[in-house]
Amino acid sequence: MKPYKVCKVEDLKSGERKLLTIEGRNIGLFNVKGKYTAIKNSCPHQGAPLCEGRVEGMTVVKKNRELEYIRDGEILRCPWHGWEFDLLNGNSIFNPLKCRTKAYKVTIEKDPVETYPVTIENEYIFVHI
Amino acid sequence: MKLPQIIDTDIHPMPKSEDEIKSYIPMPYRRRYTFDSYKYYSQPVQESRLDVKISGNDWIASNPDIVMEEHMDRYNVEYGILLPRAFVSSNPFIDMANNICIGFNDWLMDKWLEKNNKQGRFKGSILVNPQDPIAAAKEIERCANHPHMVQVMVDSGSRAPFGHRQFYPIYEMCEKYDLPFALHPGTDGVGINDSNTLGYPASFIEYHTLLCTGYMSHLVSFITEGVFERFPRLKVVLVEGGVSWIPPVLWRLDAEYKALREEVPWMKKRPFEYFTENVRVTTQPLEVPDNKQHMWTMLEALDAQNTLMFSSDYSHWDFDAPDYIMRSIPKHLIDPVFSETARRLYKLPNKDLNLEGEKSETLQSL
Ligand code: FES
Repeated sequence: MKPYKVCKVEDLKSGERKLLTIEGRNIGLFNVKGKYTAIKNSCPHQGAPLCEGRVEGMTVVKKNRELEYIRDGEILRCPWHGWEFDLLNGNSIFNPLKCRTKAYKVTIEKDPVETYPVTIENEYIFVHI
Repeated sequence: MKLPQIIDTDIHPMPKSEDEIKSYIPMPYRRRYTFDSYKYYSQPVQESRLDVKISGNDWIASNPDIVMEEHMDRYNVEYGILLPRAFVSSNPFIDMANNICIGFNDWLMDKWLEKNNKQGRFKGSILVNPQDPIAAAKEIERCANHPHMVQVMVDSGSRAPFGHRQFYPIYEMCEKYDLPFALHPGTDGVGINDSNTLGYPASFIEYHTLLCTGYMSHLVSFITEGVFERFPRLKVVLVEGGVSWIPPVLWRLDAEYKALREEVPWMKKRPFEYFTENVRVTTQPLEVPDNKQHMWTMLEALDAQNTLMFSSDYSHWDFDAPDYIMRSIPKHLIDPVFSETARRLYKLPNKDLNLEGEKSETLQSL
């Protein structure tokens, strides 16, 4: 796995995303409420550009017919057929073990080639491929 | 694998705004018209693909150049059969519904089939209101000679199954002008239409899953009422109604026929013979079970080689991508399904698209 520098931490705010092509691979990088995640921008169903979908929460049953809307900002919906995926690991909601898209490792580091002291301003987001 | 040239039998062109379509609807109906789909059975997540390009505030899939480039060129679609959605058959105001058809047909001919159809790759459907078969027949006469109109279409929602004789004026015109009669889901159980299910489905998932029940009812009605004996050259196209339910229903009908033939003595042939002779079916949304073999058995049973035609449903949410369908059906069906059967049905000459390399998709092999 090789790290690829994407952008400064402050350039990807909570709720924002970037669509990247790294070594010919299409990837979506997301800031999910302060957690950084990167997943393959291709839906396991029919290959739609998954990371162009809406980021939402999900509806679950709390008790009987009482519903609850949870995890707002953590669920990605495919722009074609609307399948739901967990942004934090790329797993689908309807079948997390068998239907999922690839998740890549993301780290926050200072740029090793820069010699400035590490402060939050020169920390970068790296996606590992 | 490169995509072959495709005939896409279900593409939905939209007006760019309510004003655009209104300008084609005759007065005074234009004044009262509002574009409506239907209130209760709308897709709750997203009606259309979210990644489809739009220009400015225009409605999705309303720009012929974008549809051509983003869908037709991208997927090597040689011809696209356009089915506008106007939901007329749910309208209790029959004259209004008839005039909406006139407006949509004039709009389709003007904007999509004439002004923006240099290569002749867009083909149209004459929209009619089945609630008024006499007016529908007139509307077919008015549009049938347009060189790019290739079929007649209605919503599958209805107050009666389409085998009933009240619809004969429509089938007479279809035969006269050699135009297939296409059913597209919509307006089932909405407005003045009967529900095709027991009572009314509560959710969209229930509604959408059971749309095939309306198709079952129409198909069995066509056959048992003897429509194909009276109109032997009529071709019925079941668009977006599902595929794999067809063999079991026809098996059942066949079993009943052996004992109950005397009830329908005008039925001269067995159900499957009418089906393969007079009915065509479109793929999307193709039921693809975890074990594809199960579906392949159904495809074989319904003679998919001669009856099944590819459709994408662009730009709706349940769009099927051509490469996905190629991977989902057996190899020997690819040519018949992706172009041959539709080419015969709609009499479309071979057109060499000769697209530049970057426009045709290269796909992974199966
Ligand atoms: S392609 Fe993503 S849900 Fe179908």
